[in-house]
Amino acid sequence: MNAPESQIFIVDDDEAIRDALGWLFRSRGHAVRTWPSAEALLDSGEIAHCGCLVLDIRMDGMSGLELFGWLGEHGHTLPVIFLTGHGDVPMAVDAIKQGAFDFVEKPFNDNELVDRALAALAMHREQVSKRAALQAIEERIAQLTQREIEVMERVLAGQMNKVIASDLGVTMRTVEVHRARIFEKMGVRSAVELAQVLAGRKD
Amino acid sequence: MRSGWLAALSIRRTGTAGARRSTMLAADTRKTDIACCSSWAWLPAATGHPDLPTRTCTVEIRQATAYRQRLSLGRSGLPRRPGVVHPMSSAPFLPPLSTAAKSSGTGWYWIVPRVAVALFLLTIAALVWWLHSNDLEEQRATLINDVLWMEQDLRFHLDRNAEQMAQIGRDAGDRRLDPQVIEARLRNLIANGHGLLKIDTLQSPAVSQAELAGPARLAGKTGRPVYLPPRSTPDGDVHFDVLVPLGGDLGWMLGRYSIAQMLSQSVPWWFAERYKLDVIDNTETVLASKSKVTAEHDELNYALAFDPPGHGLRLRVTAYRSETRLLPALLVVTIVGLALTMLWSLWALRRHLVRRLAAEQALREEHSFRTAMENSLSIGLRARDLSGRITHVNPAFCRMVGWSAEELMAMTPPMPYWAPEEAEHIRALHDGILAGGAMSHEAMELKFVRRDGQRFEVLISEAPLMDARGRHVGWMSSVLDITERKQAEELYRQQQEKLQFTGRLITMGEMASTLAHELNQPLSAIASYSTACLNMVEHDTGTLPDLKEPLTKMSSQAKRAGTIIRRVHEFVRRSEPKRMACSLNDVVEEALGLIEADARKRDIRISSSLAGGLPDIHADRVMIEQVLLNLIRNGMDAMAACAPERRRLLIQTGADAEGVQVSVRDNGGGIPPEVADKLFAPFFTTKPDGMGMGLNICRSIVELHHGRLWFEAAEGGGTVFILKLPAGGTGP
Repeated sequence: MNAPESQIFIVDDDEAIRDALGWLFRSRGHAVRTWPSAEALLDSGEIAHCGCLVLDIRMDGMSGLELFGWLGEHGHTLPVIFLTGHGDVPMAVDAIKQGAFDFVEKPFNDNELVDRALAALAMHREQVSKRAALQAIEERIAQLTQREIEVMERVLAGQMNKVIASDLGVTMRTVEVHRARIFEKMGVRSAVELAQVLAGRKD
Repeated sequence: MRSGWLAALSIRRTGTAGARRSTMLAADTRKTDIACCSSWAWLPAATGHPDLPTRTCTVEIRQATAYRQRLSLGRSGLPRRPGVVHPMSSAPFLPPLSTAAKSSGTGWYWIVPRVAVALFLLTIAALVWWLHSNDLEEQRATLINDVLWMEQDLRFHLDRNAEQMAQIGRDAGDRRLDPQVIEARLRNLIANGHGLLKIDTLQSPAVSQAELAGPARLAGKTGRPVYLPPRSTPDGDVHFDVLVPLGGDLGWMLGRYSIAQMLSQSVPWWFAERYKLDVIDNTETVLASKSKVTAEHDELNYALAFDPPGHGLRLRVTAYRSETRLLPALLVVTIVGLALTMLWSLWALRRHLVRRLAAEQALREEHSFRTAMENSLSIGLRARDLSGRITHVNPAFCRMVGWSAEELMAMTPPMPYWAPEEAEHIRALHDGILAGGAMSHEAMELKFVRRDGQRFEVLISEAPLMDARGRHVGWMSSVLDITERKQAEELYRQQQEKLQFTGRLITMGEMASTLAHELNQPLSAIASYSTACLNMVEHDTGTLPDLKEPLTKMSSQAKRAGTIIRRVHEFVRRSEPKRMACSLNDVVEEALGLIEADARKRDIRISSSLAGGLPDIHADRVMIEQVLLNLIRNGMDAMAACAPERRRLLIQTGADAEGVQVSVRDNGGGIPPEVADKLFAPFFTTKPDGMGMGLNICRSIVELHHGRLWFEAAEGGGTVFILKLPAGGTGP
């Protein structure tokens, strides 16, 4: 898990906004990193360490929306909170529809913004950990042989060993061996536990 | 030489009279001329001349009086229109005559000079006639005198001859003298005998000639010579004898005279030269003549009894035409000549008068024409003399100021129609003009006040006023009431201001959302800083010194917001144009401050290159900012369709000899020629939602600042708008 590394990033071309938000987050005990432009962020290559992106929707050069689009194209699932001006609300709504986490209209209720950012960060961290768990399950599944996967599917379907043995045309004993090996590879002790692990994968 | 002296005397006398007359004539001509040509100088000269004949003088006085009457009628008899006074009343100028004076004057007007001319001619004719008859009289008297003298002379010779004959006869009778001596004396007597042909001694008259008896007896009785009747001789001569008694019984002496010879010997040359002397008998038969030359006229002749010898003989003297009468003739010629000259001069005078009357008529017409013209004017006219006194005003001026012409002309500067608040200024201008320094035709705008106290603006143009001799006598001014024009100008100016203000409001409205965003930035920052501070206080995560930095930053952000609000406020504030010295660079930066949010929104990069050390301009900075904002926004609009990398706007300032300039260059598509012509026209726009007033307002603002606004095609596409303003902090 890389939870300690995921930070709140702030991208705004207005130095005062950046600085003020930095003070705000720090006053709540959260360190943030600030970037003066989208290009600066992308150039730094640190996007992977970002856990929540507070993004000004309108900037010189690459705008906030463009950066958001780029992130989507490149498979980043960062929660993005847009900072919008008075006239940019429709633009922000569009952004939400495209998967942005939230938008905050300037001038904003600052602690709410921090809360939202923290929530986004938490969500991101959760997602990251979830994704890591799924990845582990996939890896275990990848260790299973074809026969073991067939057996496991029948186990998960709640079939008895002898039913499985007759279906597959193998002996009862063979089924039990397979079953033991599946449990071992999947790191579970019972069929119930197996079902629980695989339920997360299906979400 | 008595007759010569007499003639000389008569010539001298007539000469004096002629000379006096010629003087008189000359004086006549001169006076008449003067009386008609100059109306003011004739009287003393005419009355002061002692030699003027009374009648002529009277006539002239009448004539001149008639003229004078016409003048005075023209001066005071004319119904004077109120407010119309002739500008040259101080100069010698003939006022127009009234038509009434003219029509009544033409009837009897010419009678007097005509009667005078007739009288004059009669006088001259009488004078010439009198002179002529006087001359004839003189000649006749001279002739009579000469005849008498001639007759006496002849008689004297005859008497002397008779005496000498008697003496010789007696001496011969005494016989004491030698007969030869007697003979010699007789010969001598015959030689000097004035026509004595021969002398005979007669003892007894009755002896030989019977016809001598009677006379001899008469002679013996009286003791005086007796002349016998004349008798013609065969050779055409006429002889007569004289019988001279010797006394006692000595006998008689008989002398025989030839009349022709007597005349030839006795008549002196000067007499013969002047007169023809005839001896005639009772039947007017000429018996003998001194000269064969016949007199051409016989009016001037005189006959006198030639006694002795008597017997009906007479001496007739006829004057030859005299050639010595040059002077009287000259005199007559002079008189006639002068009379003709006078007649000619009278005729010339009449012609002159007729022309003058025609000229006066033309002048009257011209005057009434000009008066009508002047009365119809709505422009006030005012003439002043060199001291500044009003000499003429027209009705329009009187209407303007509310004083009558008479009142105005009685005034001296300062005039009551000068507005009191500007009186000093007007006085200075007034004095400057009168001093003659300002011969300029530049019009002045002044403020006048009507009699009722109402103020009005006038535009005055002055021109020097010249009299007939080209002398500068004053100033003529035209006064134009421009109050309405001023009001219209003021209204226009106000409308322009409103329009400019509206233009600014529209600009601001179009920029409102970006400005709101711009204002949001510092406000958001302030909100964040303040929340941060609050968090630190609430959670007790920071010390007081820790709060200092965010608070300081918060304060600067508040200032930033304030600046934006101030800019907007100043830009849309409704105020009178306030021109003061300001830096063009400052104005450009201010405009950029307002526009940069908009530029960011449109993804346009604005770069500026401001020259240092620019001279200040004298301008209303908000207005110039408005112009710049308009130009910048136009430039941004022009680049809306451009690729993002071309969206560059360049603003440059600079200065040259003409002034300070700022150029706004875009990279848009440029301005098509068909648009270029009407670019600055009102309500012309290429934008779908434009009003078309932007550039029009810009141009009017720039013109208000005496600057120029134009555009050129920029290199590499696009357009550059250039605004040039005159340098100078103090301004015009």
